[in-house]
Amino acid sequence: MMISVRVRAFARFRELFGERFEVAVPEPATIRDVVMAVGQSNANGMGELLDSGGRVKSSVIILVNRERVTGTHREDHPVADGDEVAIYPPVAGG
Amino acid sequence: MFQDDYIVSTLPACTEIPGMIWEKGLMLSKRERERYSRQLPLIGEEGQERLHDASVCVAGAGGLGSPVLLYLAAAGVGHLRLVDPDRVERSNLNRQVLHAEPDISRFKVESAADKLRALNPEITIEALPVAVNSGNVSGLAAGMDLLLDALDNYEARYLLNRAALDRGIPLVHAAVNGFFGQMTTIVPGETACLQCALPHPPEGVDASIIGVTAGIIGLLQALEAIKILIREGELAKNVLVVWDGRCGRLDQIPLVRDPACMACGAGDGS
Repeated sequence: MMISVRVRAFARFRELFGERFEVAVPEPATIRDVVMAVGQSNANGMGELLDSGGRVKSSVIILVNRERVTGTHREDHPVADGDEVAIYPPVAGG
Repeated sequence: MFQDDYIVSTLPACTEIPGMIWEKGLMLSKRERERYSRQLPLIGEEGQERLHDASVCVAGAGGLGSPVLLYLAAAGVGHLRLVDPDRVERSNLNRQVLHAEPDISRFKVESAADKLRALNPEITIEALPVAVNSGNVSGLAAGMDLLLDALDNYEARYLLNRAALDRGIPLVHAAVNGFFGQMTTIVPGETACLQCALPHPPEGVDASIIGVTAGIIGLLQALEAIKILIREGELAKNVLVVWDGRCGRLDQIPLVRDPACMACGAGDGS
């Protein structure tokens, strides 16, 4: 069964993927499933979201229902139907 | 989302007692009252004296540092410590508005200090042409009331964060790229530190930027600095303020202190 997850993208990610949209992912879903679905919506998407090892870039800020998800296993964090996943790529320049 | 409990003002009690140091007009010269006449109605002579008495270390005299320093000097921050090892290059001039064509190859801190002294001779400018490193960062932070991160790399940012935590000095972080920027205020012991907020630096180096982005974020940072120094207003504590210049909007991404943080939590083994 597919579930629908709301996505909020900020800054560079908004530019690439859009500001607010929904993705459909199979249940049971994780952050990784959502990120992969988001990445496929743009030709450059995967390169912006994933590192060279195919994992979600550790620098990317991820929130589920406005709560930050961190740690080495954050990709496995469960996501439910109707949840909001927010993604932001921090910047470095000065 | 903002918490105001850092902002503790003891001024009303002081100003009510005649003859105390805070008596109106006691500290500011006639020339200073004229210079700051348009902001005195907003921040009061007490606020102006707080700025005058403040020492602020601005790490980075480039894209962010330029607007930060210009406006803090103009506002009357009494002691600015400039830290940047780089020399001015022509490619800096699309955004580093403190520097100009004749400054190319000069140390940025010296170029900046000249402009700031001309802008406001009432303040003290300390120009240090050095890179922030683990050996000097504690000394750079010593004696400062506030640290401003106008740096261009996270290695130095984490060192500044460490020094802020060690000395209990507030730190305002900012960073920019392209049309995008971010800013947050770190109050040691109270808010998420920089390493809680951004534990992993962005991968890769994309140095492209439209100068206005650095101007906007630098001025948000300067405004935050002034509010911290005069102890008024709401601060960007435990939020990452995110600017999207492509569509002209500011968002606030919530931050939380990480109890296991390597810098401010239990993660460092201390």
